[in-house]
Amino acid sequence: MAEIRIEHVTKTFGDNVAIDDINLTIEDREFLVLLGPSGCGKTTLLRAIAGLGMADSGRISIGGQDVTYLPPGQRQISMVFQSYAIFPHMTVHQNIGFGLLMNKVDKAESDRRVRSAAELLHIENLLDRRPSAMSGGQRQRVAVARALAMEAKVLLMDEPLSNLDALLRLEMRAELKRLLADVEATTVYVTHDQIEALSMGDRVAVMLDGKIQQCDAPNTVYESPSNQFVGSFIGNPPMNFMEGTIQRDRDTVTVAVGEHEFSPPEALQPLIRDLSSDRITLGIRAENMETLAAPSSDTVPVTIEVVEPLGAQNLLTARIGGHRLKVSTHPSLDVAAKQQVYIRLPADQIRWIDPATESVLYKR
Amino acid sequence: MTTPDTATSASKARTWRYRVVPYLLIAPAIVYLAMFFAYPMYEGLVLAVYDEDALLPTRDEPNLDGSEVSKIPQGTALAIVDRSSQEVVGDENPDALTDPWYQVTADDPTGSPITGWVSEARIRVRDEDAAGAPVSGTVRPRLAATSDPLTDVYEAPNDRSEVIGKLEQRAPVEITDVALLEVWFQVRPADDPSAAAGWAPSRFLQVFEDGENGRVHRGTDGEFTTAFIRRMIDDRFFGPAVRTTLLLMVLIIPAQLVLAMVMALVIHARTRLSTGFLYAFSLPIGMSDLAAGILFFSIFTGNGLLNSILDALGIIDGPYAFLTADTVRWIIFAIVLAELWRATSIVMVILVAGLQAIPDETLEAAELFGASYFQRVRHIMLPLLRPSIQVALILRTILAFQVFAVVIALGGGDVVTVLANESYRQYFGLRNNNVASAYAVFILLLSMASAFFYLRAVRSEPEARPT
Amino acid sequence: MSLNTAPDDSAGTGAGAGLPTVLPPLDSPEVEKMHRRMRRRRGRGRLTAYITGAILTLWIAVPIFFVFSMAFTTQETVRSYPKNFLPFIPFSTDTMRFFLESEGVLQSLWNSMIVAGITLFLSTLISIPAGYAIARYLFRGRDLFRLAVLAVRAFPIVVLSIPLAVLYLRIGVFDSLYSLALMHTALALPTSILVVSSVFASVPYELEEAGKVFGASPFQSFRYIVVPLVLPGIAASGLFSFVLSWNEVFAAAILTINNRTLPALVLSSLANSPDAFQFAGGFFLMVPSIVFMFFIRRYLFNMWGQVTK
Ligand SMILES: Nc1ncnc2c1ncn2[C@@H]1O[C@H](COP(=O)(O)OP(=O)(O)O)[C@@H](O)[C@H]1O
Ligand SMILES: [Mg+2]
Repeated sequence: MAEIRIEHVTKTFGDNVAIDDINLTIEDREFLVLLGPSGCGKTTLLRAIAGLGMADSGRISIGGQDVTYLPPGQRQISMVFQSYAIFPHMTVHQNIGFGLLMNKVDKAESDRRVRSAAELLHIENLLDRRPSAMSGGQRQRVAVARALAMEAKVLLMDEPLSNLDALLRLEMRAELKRLLADVEATTVYVTHDQIEALSMGDRVAVMLDGKIQQCDAPNTVYESPSNQFVGSFIGNPPMNFMEGTIQRDRDTVTVAVGEHEFSPPEALQPLIRDLSSDRITLGIRAENMETLAAPSSDTVPVTIEVVEPLGAQNLLTARIGGHRLKVSTHPSLDVAAKQQVYIRLPADQIRWIDPATESVLYKR
Repeated sequence: MTTPDTATSASKARTWRYRVVPYLLIAPAIVYLAMFFAYPMYEGLVLAVYDEDALLPTRDEPNLDGSEVSKIPQGTALAIVDRSSQEVVGDENPDALTDPWYQVTADDPTGSPITGWVSEARIRVRDEDAAGAPVSGTVRPRLAATSDPLTDVYEAPNDRSEVIGKLEQRAPVEITDVALLEVWFQVRPADDPSAAAGWAPSRFLQVFEDGENGRVHRGTDGEFTTAFIRRMIDDRFFGPAVRTTLLLMVLIIPAQLVLAMVMALVIHARTRLSTGFLYAFSLPIGMSDLAAGILFFSIFTGNGLLNSILDALGIIDGPYAFLTADTVRWIIFAIVLAELWRATSIVMVILVAGLQAIPDETLEAAELFGASYFQRVRHIMLPLLRPSIQVALILRTILAFQVFAVVIALGGGDVVTVLANESYRQYFGLRNNNVASAYAVFILLLSMASAFFYLRAVRSEPEARPT
Repeated sequence: MSLNTAPDDSAGTGAGAGLPTVLPPLDSPEVEKMHRRMRRRRGRGRLTAYITGAILTLWIAVPIFFVFSMAFTTQETVRSYPKNFLPFIPFSTDTMRFFLESEGVLQSLWNSMIVAGITLFLSTLISIPAGYAIARYLFRGRDLFRLAVLAVRAFPIVVLSIPLAVLYLRIGVFDSLYSLALMHTALALPTSILVVSSVFASVPYELEEAGKVFGASPFQSFRYIVVPLVLPGIAASGLFSFVLSWNEVFAAAILTINNRTLPALVLSSLANSPDAFQFAGGFFLMVPSIVFMFFIRRYLFNMWGQVTK
C-alpha cells in the first residue's frame, strides 16, 4: 500500500506562494500526472513529496506514514530528475546501483536488479560506459533505470522527457508508458506537455498558480474541464470561448452571442437562470463543431478568415459575433478564405461558464 | 557603390585585421611575461651551473694580443715569475687596476730641461685644466731618508724602460700627457714548476706580500660546474632546510585540504550567512606570510595571547617560552598554524568554485537514493571535486616551497630554516648569487616535480568532470 | 464520457474525510508536535553549518583582532604580561605613534605606495588588451596563451628574484622602486589577465555589436558600452595587483637595500625591533588586504576559482 495523501500543503518562497493549500490523494499504484504551465508549482509539489524541499505546513503521508518532514532517503521513494542528475564520475552500472549500495542491498541482489533494470531499458550493453560518452536519450534511460532499480513503492518523475528532442520524446513516451504499466509503483509524473499528460496518466491534475484546478481521468479533463483555464490549457487548438448575454424568459433561458441565440440544455437552465449577472461565457472545442457548405435550421453563417491545412484536418478561423473561433473540418471540405460557410454548434458540446468564477456549470 | 572586387578586398582586409588584432593585443603581455619569467628562469639556471669566472687564460706576451698559453682555474696558487707594466690604450678595460704615469717636462738638477715619464706616485698635481686633466705639479719629496732623494725620469711609461734623467724633489713640472698602466704578471701554477708560465693582468690575480706567490682571484672564461650545487648540498643548513620544508608540507597540506573542505561545505550549505562566511574565510587571501607570521608571533610570543590565556585558566603560572631554540617543535607548530591560517583560503575558494559547479540535482539525487551527508561528500562531492583538488594541491605545494617570512618571524631563520630562507641567506647574508640560484633552481625543480606528481597521481579522467 | 456531469471532486474538498485511522487529524496537537520535532531534526545540518562557520570565523578573526588591538594600545600594554586578552585592552595611539616615528617607516610606507601604485597601473595597462583578446577573439594559440598564463601564475617568486637581482645589478637599476614595481607587475600580471578576460567575457559581445549597428565606431562602442560595464571588474583586478605588491616580501627584500618597502623593512627589522613595532607593522600590512577583500568579493571566483581551462 503506497497511497500518497497530500493535505493542506503550502509552500512559499519569500512572498511567492509556490503551492497553495494543496489537497490530493494519489491511490496505490495509480499513475498521476501533474500538468500545468511553467511556474505553476508542479516541481515544488513533487519536491515536497520527495522531501527535497520541505513544505511550510500541511501533511504528506505515504502508505499511511507521515513523511512531511522525513528526509528523502528514508521515504522509500525513487525519482527521475529533469536534468537526469546522472553521476558523471560513475559508470552506468554504478549509477543504477547507487541507491542499492546506499541502502545496503547485498551485492548479488543489487547486481541482479541493476541488470534487469538495464535490460528493461535496453542499456545492458552500456553498463561499463560513463555518462559523458552517452547521448541524451541514453542518459535518460540510465536515469529511469536507476529509479526503477530501487523497486520503490513511489516513483516520481519531473519532466523526464523535456530534455529530449521531439522525435525521441515521442518514442520514449510510448516506451515509458509500456514500462510503467508493469511497474507496481504509485507514480507521480510532472509535465507541462498536455499530450504527454493525456496519453500517459490514469488521472491528470491540472495546476495553476499553486492550486490544483482539476484532477480527473484524461478524458474527463479534456471533455469536461472544470473551469475556463483547464479548457484553454488542454487541447490543441485550445477551447474556443465566446461571451454571451443571458436572456431570461418565463419558461426558458437563452443565450445571445451577437445576433445568434443558443439554448442551453434543459438540465442547466436553472443554473444559468440563477447566475447573478447577465453575462456568460460559452466554450466549445474546434472538433465539436460541424462545418457545412449550405445553411440549415440550426447553423450559424460565418466568414472564413484563414484556412490552415494540417494534413489530417483543416483548421478554419471564423468570425462569429465579434469572436474568432477555431473550427476543425475534414480536409475534403473545400473552403477558402473570405468564403461564407455555416457551422453547427451542438448545444450538448457547449460548456457554459460563469464569468465571475470562471468555472464551468455542470448539472448536479 | 563598391564593385564585387573591392568588396572582397575590403572583407579580406577585415579578416586580416581580425587575425592580427588579437596578437597585437596580447603582444605586450607576452613580451612582459617573457622578460620577467622566461629570462630570469634561464638566467637562474645559468647562475646555478655556470661559473663565468672559472678560468683565467694566460698569454705568452703581457698584453691582450698575446696568444693563449694555458687556462688556470680560479683559486689556483701561483708562483710569480715576472712582472711588467703595460699601457692601457683608450678605455677598453674599464675595470682594470691601473696606475697612471705622467709625461713631464722639467729642469733636471743641472738645470737642463728634460722630457720623460714619471709615475703618478711621484707627482703632486697642482693644476688641472677645465676638463680635469692635470696640467702642472711638483715632484713629491721622498720621506725615507735612506732612499735616493731624486726621482727617476723614464724614457717610456714603464719602470723597465731606460732612465733618462732625474728630478729634484719639489721641482715644478709641466704635465703634457697621461698614460694608464696596468701591471701584468707572468705566472705559473705553484705546484707545477714544469708548467709553461704565462702573462695575466693584475686585476685577476691576488699577489701576496712577498711578491713571489699569489693565486687566481677571478677568471674571465666561463665553465659549466657543479661546484655551486655541491656547495649548496654541503651547506650545513641544506639538510635541515629540505627536511623542514618537506615536514611543513606534510603537516600543512593535508590539514589544509580538510580545513578548506570544511569551510567550503559550510559556505555550500547556503545558510543566510554564507556570503558573510565566504568573506571571513577569504580574508587572509591577500595577506603575506610575513603578516601571518606576525599574527602568530603575537599569539605564541612569551607575553602573547596564548600564555595570557593559559595563565588566566591557571594552566601555567609563568610565561612559557614557545619560540626558542629549545622548543623547535613549538616553532614548527606555530608555523603550521600560521600557514593554515593564511593559505587555506585560496584552497577554500577553489573548492567552493568546484562545489558550485556540481548541479544541485546531482546532490539531491544522491540524497534521494539514500546517501547520508557524509556519503554524499564521500561518493559525490569529493570525486567530482577531483580537478579542483588537483589544482589546489599543485598551487599549495608550489606555494609551500616559497614559505619564508613566516619562518623568520616565528623562528628567527636559523633554528628552523626552509629552502627559500636559505636562498635568501646565500644571496643576502653570504653574497653568493650562484649558490642562491642553485637553491632557487632546486625549488623550481621540486615545484615542477610535485606538480607532475599530482597530475599523474590525482589524474582526473576526462569523464570525471561535471558535465 | 457522460456529458455535462460534474467531474470527480477529489481535488477540492477531499481532505479530512476518510483518512486511514492510523493518522490523527492534521490539526491535532500531537501532529503539530511531531512535525516541529522533525523539522528541528532536519534543521540540524543547518545549525551545524552555522556553528562550524562561527568557529572558523573566530579562527580567522581572533588573531587579526588581537594584533590590531596591540597596534592601538600603549607600549606598556604590549610589553605587559599577562594580558587582559578580552577586549579590555586600553586604546591608545602610543604604539602606532612609536611605529610611525621610527626611522624609515614613513619612507617605506611611501615606497610601498609608489611600488604598489606603479604595479596597479602597469598590470592594468597590459592586462586589459590581453584579457580583451582572450575574451573576444578566437585566434590560433589562444588556448596555449591561456595555459601559459595559468602556469606562470604558480611560478615560485624565489626563482625569479635572484636572477633578476643579478640582472638589475648588472644594468645598474638595483635597489630602485621602479625595478621592484616591474617585478611585482610580472607577478600580478597572470592573475590580472585571467580576471580581466573573465570580466570581458561576462559582457555579451552582442552589446558591442548593437553599439556598432547604431553607428558607433569600434572604439566608441568599446568606450561607451563595454567600459562602463567592466570598470568594476577591472578595478577589482587593479586592487588585486596593488595588494599583491603591498604584501610581497621576498622580491622586495632581495631587490632593495636602501629603498625598502614596508614588508621588506618589517622583515629586516624583525630580529631587532620591539614587539610594538612588529604589531603596528602587521596592522599596516593587513589593512589593505582586508579592505581589498571587501571590494573584490564578487570577483573572488574569477581570480582563484578557475580550475579547468
Ligand atoms: N528555490 C526557489 N526559490 C524561490 N522561488 C522558487 C524556488 N523554486 C521555485 N520557486 C518559485 O515557485 C514557483 C513554482 O515553481 P516550480 O514549482 O518550479 O514551477 P514548475 O515546476 O511548475 O514550473 C515559481 O514561481 C518559482 O519562481
Ligand atoms: Mg519544474
